[in-house]
This record gives sequence, C-alpha cells and structure tokens, in this order.
Amino acid sequence: MDATDKMPANTDYAIDVQNLTVGYGSNVLMKDLNFTVNNGEIFVILGGSGCGKSSLLKNLFGLYQPLSGDVLIEGQNITVAQGAERQKIMTSFGVMYQQGALFGSMNLLENVTLFMQEYTELTQGQMDLLARCKLDLVGLLPYETYMPSEISGGMQKRAAIARAMALDPKILFLDEPSAGLDPITSADLDQTIMDLSKNLGITFVIVSHELASIYAIADKVIMLDKGAKGIIAQGDPKVLRDTSADPKVHQFFNRIMSKDAA
Amino acid sequence: MSMTAPISSAPSLVAVWSQTDAASAQIFLTGKINVYSLGGVWTQIRDAQDAWLKQDANQSLVFDASKVSSFDGAGIAFLIGVEEAQRKAGGKFEIVGLDARYQPLLKEFDPISNLFPTPTTKPKTSFVVSTGIATQDLIDDARGLITFTGQLTADLVWSIRNIKQVRWGDFVNAAVEAGIAALPIVGLVAFLIGVILSFQSAIGMKQFGAISFVGPIVSLGIFRELGPLITAILLAGRSSAAFAAEIGTMTVNSEVDALVSGGLSPIRFLVVPRVLAGILVAPILTLYADIVSVFASAITMLAYGIPFINFYNGMLSAVDLEDIGSGLLKATLFGIVVSAVGCLRGMQTGTGAAAVGISATRAVVSSIVMIVLVDGVFAFISYKTGF
Repeated sequence: MDATDKMPANTDYAIDVQNLTVGYGSNVLMKDLNFTVNNGEIFVILGGSGCGKSSLLKNLFGLYQPLSGDVLIEGQNITVAQGAERQKIMTSFGVMYQQGALFGSMNLLENVTLFMQEYTELTQGQMDLLARCKLDLVGLLPYETYMPSEISGGMQKRAAIARAMALDPKILFLDEPSAGLDPITSADLDQTIMDLSKNLGITFVIVSHELASIYAIADKVIMLDKGAKGIIAQGDPKVLRDTSADPKVHQFFNRIMSKDAA
Repeated sequence: MSMTAPISSAPSLVAVWSQTDAASAQIFLTGKINVYSLGGVWTQIRDAQDAWLKQDANQSLVFDASKVSSFDGAGIAFLIGVEEAQRKAGGKFEIVGLDARYQPLLKEFDPISNLFPTPTTKPKTSFVVSTGIATQDLIDDARGLITFTGQLTADLVWSIRNIKQVRWGDFVNAAVEAGIAALPIVGLVAFLIGVILSFQSAIGMKQFGAISFVGPIVSLGIFRELGPLITAILLAGRSSAAFAAEIGTMTVNSEVDALVSGGLSPIRFLVVPRVLAGILVAPILTLYADIVSVFASAITMLAYGIPFINFYNGMLSAVDLEDIGSGLLKATLFGIVVSAVGCLRGMQTGTGAAAVGISATRAVVSSIVMIVLVDGVFAFISYKTGF
C-alpha cells in the first residue's frame, strides 16, 4: 500500500519527515526521526563528525532509500515516487554536494546551464544570462569560462551552489556550504542565503559545523547524536546555546573541548 | 499611431508585449514567472522589443510586474535581459509594481552590464606553432619515460638491497589481481587460439600431406611467441589499465602528492610492488597459457586422426627447453614493460575524472606498442644469437 494513502499530503511544510530510519544494511545510523521544515525556513542539521548528517541529507532528497519511514517534499512522498512523478519532485529542489561535484569536463557556465538545457525551453543566450546571474550571486562571474579543475575548492563549492540554483528550486539542500571558505566569502554566502530565503521564499536545508554561520542564518536547527541515534536537540540555535541542559548540546554550541566537559 | 493589441494574448503566457507608439511600450507580467513559464515567451518579448527599438525615437519601456504572483531568479534574469537591451539602445526603462521584496536581489546584480561580457575569441594557433607544441609534447613524453625508467631501475635495485622494506602487501594484492584473477580469461583466449591456429595450419599443411607437422610447428609457435604475446596483451588490457586508473585516481586525489610531501618516493611505494608483481605473474601466466594452448592444439589434432602420443612426440622433437625458456624470458620483459607503463601513465594523470580515463587508454595503447617493440628487439637478438 502506498504510504501517501495513509497520510494525507500536508503541503504546509516544505519537508515532512515521518519515522525515518537511516542506515546502510544492518548498520542503523538514526532511528525514527520525525521533524518538519517550514516553507522559506533556513533549517540546519548539526552533529558531530560521522553521526550521519550527510547520509540523512541524502535520504531527504531521495538519493538513498531509507531503511524505513517517509520523506514528504511539498506533500509528495519521495521514498515511494517513481518515474515522471519522482523526476518532478527531483526538479523541485537543488543539491550542493560536499565536494562540489561539478562536472569536470564542462566549464562553470556549462555546469550551471546543463539542467536548464534538459528541463526548459529557453534559448542558449537566455540560459547563459540566467547562469551568469547565478554565478554573480556566488561571486564567480569572472570565472564563467574556467574549468572546475582550474579553481580552488571553495570556489568549486560556490559554483556548485550556483548549479543547484539553476532551475530556481523552492528547496536547496547544501552539504557544508561554508566549510573551507574564507570568512568574508563565507559571510557573503550567508547573506546570499538569507536574501534568497527572505525574498524568494526558498527553503534551505543545510548541513553545517560553522557555528558563526549557524547563529547568523539558521531559523531552526536539529542536532543529531551518534550514541542516541536520533535528534537530541531542536529549535533556535541561540536559545539552545544559552539554555540547553544537555551537556552534549551545551558543549557543541559553546565549543568546549571534550576533556573539559567531563 | 493607434494603440496596437498585444502581440501575444494566449492565456497561458506570463508576459505580454504592448506597444502604444514608436516611443513607448509596456511589458505586462502576470502569474508565476519562472524558468519554465518563461520558455518561449522570453524570446517573443525580446524579438518584439528589438523590432521596436529599431525605430528611431526616444523610446521608453515600462516593465509592469504589478500582477505577478511569484517571481524568481529566472524572472530577474528576464528583467535584466530586457533592461540591458533598452540600455544599449539608449532608451528609458522603468519598473512598475514589482514587489519590494525582490528589490534587494535585483540590486545584487548592479551594474548589470557585467552580466553581458564582450565575447572573446581564442586566437588561432598557426600550423608552425601547433607542430612545435606537438614536438615539444613528444620530447617531454620521451624525457618523462627516460626519467621514469631511471628512477624505477634505481628503486628496483634499492628494493633488492632493502628487501624487507618493500611493500609486500601491495605486491600480493597486485599479483592476485593481475595473476590469479586473470586465469579464466587467459585460459579461454589461449585455448581458442590453440584450436584456431591448429585448424588453420591443418588446412594448409593437409595440401602437402604434412598434417603430422602441425603439432610440432604450432607448439613451437606457441611456446616461443604466441603464449607470451597473448598473456602480455591480456595483461595490458587488464592490469596495465587497472594500474593506470588506480594510480591516476590517487594522483587526482593528491594521494601521490601526500607521499612526496611526506618524503617518500611514489615510485618505491606504488610502482615497485606492481612491477615486481608483473615480473612474477607474467611468466607464470605465460606457462599456463602455453600449456592450455598446446593442449587445445592436441585436442584439435585428434580430429585429424593424430593421437595424443604422436602429438606429444612430435612436439618434443621440435620444442627444446631453450624455446620454453626463451618464451618465459620474453614474458618477464613484457611483464615489466606492461606494469611499468601502466604505473607511469597513472602518475602522469592530469586533473578530473576524464583524465583517469585518458590515462587508462594511454596505458593500454603504450603497453601494446612497447610489447611489439620489445618483441621485435627480442626476435632480432634471437636471430643473431640463436636463443
């Protein structure tokens, strides 16, 4: 039976995660996760290294099949969707991978226009202009003819964000967008994210460790823990930093070394 | 001039061009403006605008976005495209009714002329220059090969003197991958070559009533030439390409750089174990290919009424231990060449996924060329020395 039959589609949320269990085979990383992401929200997933943040993200946007549970993206269940329906859901969001994952054989402009060529009826000139706008947003306009191998890692990440925005998706999944960026670029990127969220109503789901950036942009965070195999805290990051009684959460948000916490 | 009706009035269109007279026009936007809904419409509007701009007047265009329900990056790009055309023609441009929340995004693109770079054409290189570059590449390649050969020889000598420090774990992995895993394909190809060679030879020999000589001549050919050659070409296709791809991926991921910056020789770490594996595996695989191939030939000759024992005796009369040794020595050389060339091409990998594919291809091509070269030199030496 289709899971969407049981639960009526709720389009109030950009993403609605229900009883999601994430893992590989018998190795369960996280059990029975339940959370929602509101439309236009900047939602940050936190947690120590290796707790499965990136795996959770890949489950959210349907790259990996969860062990159990459902992920509704704008009311549509991506875990059961097939064929054209699945493709439609897939084009409603953009993804930036941790290492950028740009296509090495194409220059930056071509990387950004690729998905437009496949999904829209725009002419090449129009797509190029659109792509230049995206590259301008991430500060890479002068580098449009560069190949990914010719630019730095941080620039590759920004180019990957531009590519993720190519079709102006309603949701953007970013895997550690500001890691490896210099503070100025990182702050610029935060501002761009906030502008896009506020002005265009784009929903962001971001995996990040950068506390400064999290405090600046996040509307809501969830913190995952390896031991608990689930969410140990959620809410406004500043409130969590100041009020959380959980030692792990307190330690994380206040950058306290592990030996000092004990 | 009277006010003309909008050119495009289909209900699904999100943007409509409307021209009051030669000096003023409007673009009316309605509904959801996005990358999908603008398909086609964008071109229509821009064409109409260009046609209108050709008339000589102090033209002003109003971009009316008051009925827009949603506007995104594509809408902004469309707006910028229209504005730029207007700006270039020296006309006026005014935005009306655009929701205030889109203004900050619009400001991000100031000045919009940056988004329209003047197209640059790459200067064409002349024939002389491209020939020079090609020659230089060839010389660099040869120099790389010579340097690599020197370093490899030095490191092989080093590994004999410091036998305990050789990466024997890598050696075993490479030997298993290149050797044991290659047994089925080498066996299959050797068997079929044995059968085919015997049948083809038999057709010719039968005309001279010399069918009993097929066994000896085929066996000699297999031991001296075909066994080593089949094995070497299969090694080139399987292992040389694998070495190139593996080391190539390591090069792309800066793993080779990590060895160098750690003060270690990548040749000693990566190449020596693989070349040693090639030296071990090639003669063993060749011997196996020889046996399978000769056995296949013996089975084939049964069809021509030559019993096993006759085939065996015929073979003994033609093939000396020296012939087998000559084939195995050649196989060892092939093993060195194939594994070393694979590693060299891997270490010469550029950047990106495509570079690894190029390296693997170059490894196979270079290996086969080197095999043929070594074979030719060896044939000449055999002819002169009788070995």
